[in-house]
Amino acid sequence: MPAVPSRRRVPSYGFLSAIKGNLEALTVGLKYFLNPNRSTLHYPREYIKLRPGYRGYIVLNKAKCIMCESCARICPAAAMKMVRFQAPDPKRPGKMKLYKYPVINYQRCIFCGLCVDVCPTEALRHVPAHDVVYMNLAEMELGLEAFQQEPRSPAEEEGGIPVRYIFDPEKGLVKVRVSEGGGEQ
Amino acid sequence: MASGELKLSGWEVGEVRRLPGMDVKKIGRDLYEIFIGPQHPGSGHMRIIVRLDGDVMVEVDPDLGYVHRTMEKLAEGRSYIKVIPLMERMAILDACNITLPYVEAVEKLLDLEPPERAKYLRVLLCEINRIASHLYGMGIFGVFLGHSTMYMWPFGDREVFVELAERLTGARLTHTYAVPGGVRRDVPDGFTDDLRKAIRYMRKRLEDYRKIFLDNPVIRARLEDVGVIPRNLAIELGIVGPNLRASGVEYDVRLIEPYEVYDELDFEIPVFEEGDALARTWVRVEEIRQSLRILEQVADKLDKMPREGVMHDKFWAKAPKLYKDVYAREGRVKLMPLFATLRVPKGKAFARAEAGRGEIVYYVESEGGMTPYRVRVVSPSFRNAIVFKYIAPGHRLMDLPAIYGSIDYFPPEADR
Repeated sequence: MPAVPSRRRVPSYGFLSAIKGNLEALTVGLKYFLNPNRSTLHYPREYIKLRPGYRGYIVLNKAKCIMCESCARICPAAAMKMVRFQAPDPKRPGKMKLYKYPVINYQRCIFCGLCVDVCPTEALRHVPAHDVVYMNLAEMELGLEAFQQEPRSPAEEEGGIPVRYIFDPEKGLVKVRVSEGGGEQ
Repeated sequence: MASGELKLSGWEVGEVRRLPGMDVKKIGRDLYEIFIGPQHPGSGHMRIIVRLDGDVMVEVDPDLGYVHRTMEKLAEGRSYIKVIPLMERMAILDACNITLPYVEAVEKLLDLEPPERAKYLRVLLCEINRIASHLYGMGIFGVFLGHSTMYMWPFGDREVFVELAERLTGARLTHTYAVPGGVRRDVPDGFTDDLRKAIRYMRKRLEDYRKIFLDNPVIRARLEDVGVIPRNLAIELGIVGPNLRASGVEYDVRLIEPYEVYDELDFEIPVFEEGDALARTWVRVEEIRQSLRILEQVADKLDKMPREGVMHDKFWAKAPKLYKDVYAREGRVKLMPLFATLRVPKGKAFARAEAGRGEIVYYVESEGGMTPYRVRVVSPSFRNAIVFKYIAPGHRLMDLPAIYGSIDYFPPEADR
């Protein structure tokens, strides 16, 4: 059934409704004053344990990479580039082979995840971390070695409490602690 | 010229004084020229030049272009898929709505129709985005009026919908969700249950909003009969979206030219007669209610549908086993490498959609290569910006925030 227009008017308002309106506004304010609906995250004392599927930092599994360049070609921000180097070919002893692997520049990355989705061998993957700190801009341009290491959330390293938000029909979002196994408490 | 402190006497004609957030130039006896902005007077960079007679605005000029990023030109040098993350930067909180017509236009050129489930998933994210966008607008509106509760509440509740979008797409904003041929992810396990919880919560909260904001006598006094856009003027100026519908015009792309699966869903397009700032606020609240209704129907529909087919066969039929395993395991649709070098047949296509702030139009022209020859965008905020010039004069200066907030003007979207 398609949409139908419904013509309405703003509810009319008189002197009595102004009194009622004042009282209602005060009552609802008081209700939330006594029973506040808080969802503040006390970062870095607490940090959000991101779910699998979150588009966080990207890690390369070099063993799976087939050097197809699809990731570098699809990157909309030109953050991913291929590094090329000559190295001995294991299949043909004594011969050299041209290798090319992707590296990433996190100054440019917009975390769209297109490289991960386009990778035909799942050599790239997202890690559930998004709050990595770099001390200078040069560090954000990862080399081939750094791109293979999983970045760690500093809040997690420093022993922050992992939390997660779950949906609740009464409170909207409720902050819960995440236990060791990844379950919610 | 500009003095740091505010002196109350001896203000010469032609002298500029710096007041909090604006520069004021005295242009005659009791005549002042005020430059509001361009550093974030609302949500984004723009400048409003106001000429005041005493406290009454006599001339208001919206001065746009401070966040112009040459998106249309940049799109000409990018392959088709890369234009999607670019265009999202117009309104990151409304990312799916703002890019959907582009994707539809490219699909028209490729002559492919996304599968049914992909259409439902697009509508799902579009409506989540619409609610988030309206809540953002209402939060900004609240703080414009000095109602800081109405700033905190919608922003807190928007988090519910941002979280839903994150579960669905993996990103809070800039989802890059709809791609030519379908969508990039299927719903994760338990998503529709969470969605129903969020709907129940939001319905309850809309009642709270009515009590603390819409029916609050202070807010009523500030919004009623302020910034009235009469029906004929609204049509003449060509404004779109909730602002147009608040002036009694039944115009919504979902109504006049349903796209995706909007013609299969049962919902209303709220239209208000008054055309004032209060009616524009009511339209948004009622639209959130209708979006919740749509989301409920989409959730039911998604539960009943088989969990397969969110990508067109052109990009999925030849997909290797690994691709299908990833989809079965994670619900993630892997893209064929040909997406990076997608060639679109020669032609011209046009598509439009109803974004949170109104109708968004794309015109895509292809010469058969890997990049579009031309991408033309007409965004809703651009069409609404003219309202300042015609509606604000005659009101007192302190009505300007009420008018600005009520039209939900978003500079990054207008400037592109």
